[in-house]
Amino acid sequence: MKKTFITPSLLVIAALLGACSSAPTSTSLLEQTRSDYRVAQSNPKISSYAAGEMAQAGEAMTKANRAAEKKDSAKEVDRLSYLAKQQIAVTQEVAKRKSAEADVADAGKERDQIRLDQRTREADQAKRSAQIAQGDAEQAKRDAQIAQSDAAQAQRESLEAQMRNADLEAQLAELAAVKTERGLVITFGDVLFGTDQARLTPDGLRTAQKLADVLQKNPQRSVLIEGFTDSTGSAAYNQELSERRAGAVQNALQEMGVARDRVGMRGYGEAYPVAGNDTGSNRQLNRRVEIVLSNDGGKIMQR
Amino acid sequence: MQMNSKQWFAVMCTVAMAITVGCSSLKTPATADVAVSNAAVANAAGADGMEYAPAEMNSAREKMALANKALADKDYKLASNLANQAEADAKLAQSKANSAKAKAAANALQDDIRVLRDELNRPQ
Repeated sequence: MKKTFITPSLLVIAALLGACSSAPTSTSLLEQTRSDYRVAQSNPKISSYAAGEMAQAGEAMTKANRAAEKKDSAKEVDRLSYLAKQQIAVTQEVAKRKSAEADVADAGKERDQIRLDQRTREADQAKRSAQIAQGDAEQAKRDAQIAQSDAAQAQRESLEAQMRNADLEAQLAELAAVKTERGLVITFGDVLFGTDQARLTPDGLRTAQKLADVLQKNPQRSVLIEGFTDSTGSAAYNQELSERRAGAVQNALQEMGVARDRVGMRGYGEAYPVAGNDTGSNRQLNRRVEIVLSNDGGKIMQR
Repeated sequence: MQMNSKQWFAVMCTVAMAITVGCSSLKTPATADVAVSNAAVANAAGADGMEYAPAEMNSAREKMALANKALADKDYKLASNLANQAEADAKLAQSKANSAKAKAAANALQDDIRVLRDELNRPQ
């Protein structure tokens, strides 16, 4: 009789204990929940936006883990795991929502800023357009004034140049200056030099003095003195003679007070004859010194 | 081991009493759980849970029905468990609906901004 009571009792106890000890410490749902929990833990948005929900998820997770440690039934572990899993999902959604709400707030500010920028730009645009129109009008007025004053200036300058040229021509009339494409050219004939010599005769010196006077009255002009000979004699001798004669005129002008940098000099020997070297009178024409006057700016076109 | 059958009977009776008391004490919290869960499902439905999280909503409603049935069957523990699960599902459905709505609002605003920006950047 005793045994018949003891045996079923022991069996009940054994069954209860057995149920506990045979329960798995882990289920696939628990593993999944643990994994979800780790993902949530490493989500920075959750720590900033859903800390409260995450704490609840942590409690639920602890309950599930504890049940697993206590070797509760798989069903109980799964039940707690499920609650934890759903709470973790809620946490994720809350973080998403708050993050989106923050985005909305930021975007609202951004939109207002853009609208403000747009208004500002439209206003600026209108202001600029007005300024441009005004500027254009002023510019047109200025341009007209400039054109007018330019025209007056040009007229004045051309008058002055005309007067200067007339003056110069009058001064040079005595020197028998000839207008060429290189400018005014004065020729010192052979007779102004001693035969085969580079020294100027008294007539030559007088002519040089006249030229010096002209140059002093026209300080903006300079001269280039070019010496030439006929073809008699060696080329080297003629080259030297042409240079010496040109040099003589240059020296004479300097002695008469014309600055050296206003007086250029070149000898061309028997090159550039103005007549044939066949007769004596033609050869005499070729033996000469030409003096080229610069334009108003002091420029002389080279041969 | 002079424990006789009478004594054994007394022990078993005590155990049975304890279980009965224990079970009957589960009735009140189970009823409360089901009520809380009901409210959670209603809230989720009000937050358009059916539209944004139909799976969770259906799950919550099925579990609610089962919980009510368990309550009627006086299986309080099962009723409580199912109610808890239904509540978790409903809360998730509500959270999903709310986050989806917030996300939609943020996207709409971003679209707005893109249009404004395009307008601003268009050469005039």
